[in-house]
Amino acid sequence: MTIFNRNDKAPDGSDIVTPPREMPAPPVTAETKRPVATAQPITSSVSSPSSGVSLISKALKITGQLESTEDIRIDGEIDGDVRGVSVTVGSNAKIKGTVYGDAVELSGTVNGKIEAKKVVLTSTARMSGDVIHQDIKIESGAFIDGHCRPEFGKAGPKPAAVYKPNAAAVKPADAEFEAKH
Amino acid sequence: MSSTPLRAPAKAPPNGAEMAVSHLGRALSVTGTLDTDGEVHIHGKIQGRINADRMVLSAGAAMDGDIVARDVQIAGRLNGRIFAVNVTLDASADVTGRIFHHTVTVARGARVDARMPWRPPSYFETLDQLPETRP
Repeated sequence: MTIFNRNDKAPDGSDIVTPPREMPAPPVTAETKRPVATAQPITSSVSSPSSGVSLISKALKITGQLESTEDIRIDGEIDGDVRGVSVTVGSNAKIKGTVYGDAVELSGTVNGKIEAKKVVLTSTARMSGDVIHQDIKIESGAFIDGHCRPEFGKAGPKPAAVYKPNAAAVKPADAEFEAKH
Repeated sequence: MSSTPLRAPAKAPPNGAEMAVSHLGRALSVTGTLDTDGEVHIHGKIQGRINADRMVLSAGAAMDGDIVARDVQIAGRLNGRIFAVNVTLDASADVTGRIFHHTVTVARGARVDARMPWRPPSYFETLDQLPETRP
């Protein structure tokens, strides 16, 4: 009885004065139900099946890296890199860092970089930085300060590595040809 | 109108109290600090620190680090410290570390390898800097 009372008052930070011990137990029905009521939402929330899509609500701020092999929706604030399959950045969201993904839909603010196969900048998007994409859609009203480069999936050093052996292989052949004729 | 819809358009959350609830899915791993006035449900992996009003570490989730919240419910694996007024450890919980609490509930079956220091609620209100503790 007294323990239950103390439990309920504690979160408020209000008086934790334990009620007098000699208090009898007539209002047991109302009081005993309380702990049950607080326990029930807890169990239901744990078994909620929404473990697939991640939701960063607008009240949440994350400093660090996020990595997922599933979809992410961000309405909060991220200070760091985000890696996901489909990343949706809500209109009130702020990201400082790089967003990697298969598909990125931006309605909020990104200060950094986007690297994704499919990029959508909606009318409320604010993008400061480069967008590396294969397929991009920019709605009217979107703000973008940076380069849009269709280079997603094209690794930088690879072409150079391919060209050099070719050049090296061609030159001796040419030299031989010139020497013979 | 949109010719190229994203693969799985995540729906906007409904208005009201649920706005403040964040879900970190099973496939999501975070390295760093999570800060919120609302609620966080974790199904994935966290390495770092969580500051929240209410936080739920569900079964299958794993966390390394400190949790500072008003209400904490653990059904997954935690290696670290909890600073919370109300702590609930479910049957599937696996906790190693310390649990600074005002009230604590441990379900039968939970694996707890932790010291559980009791603190008055005022302790949690004035918790600006976490104490240094040795494991």
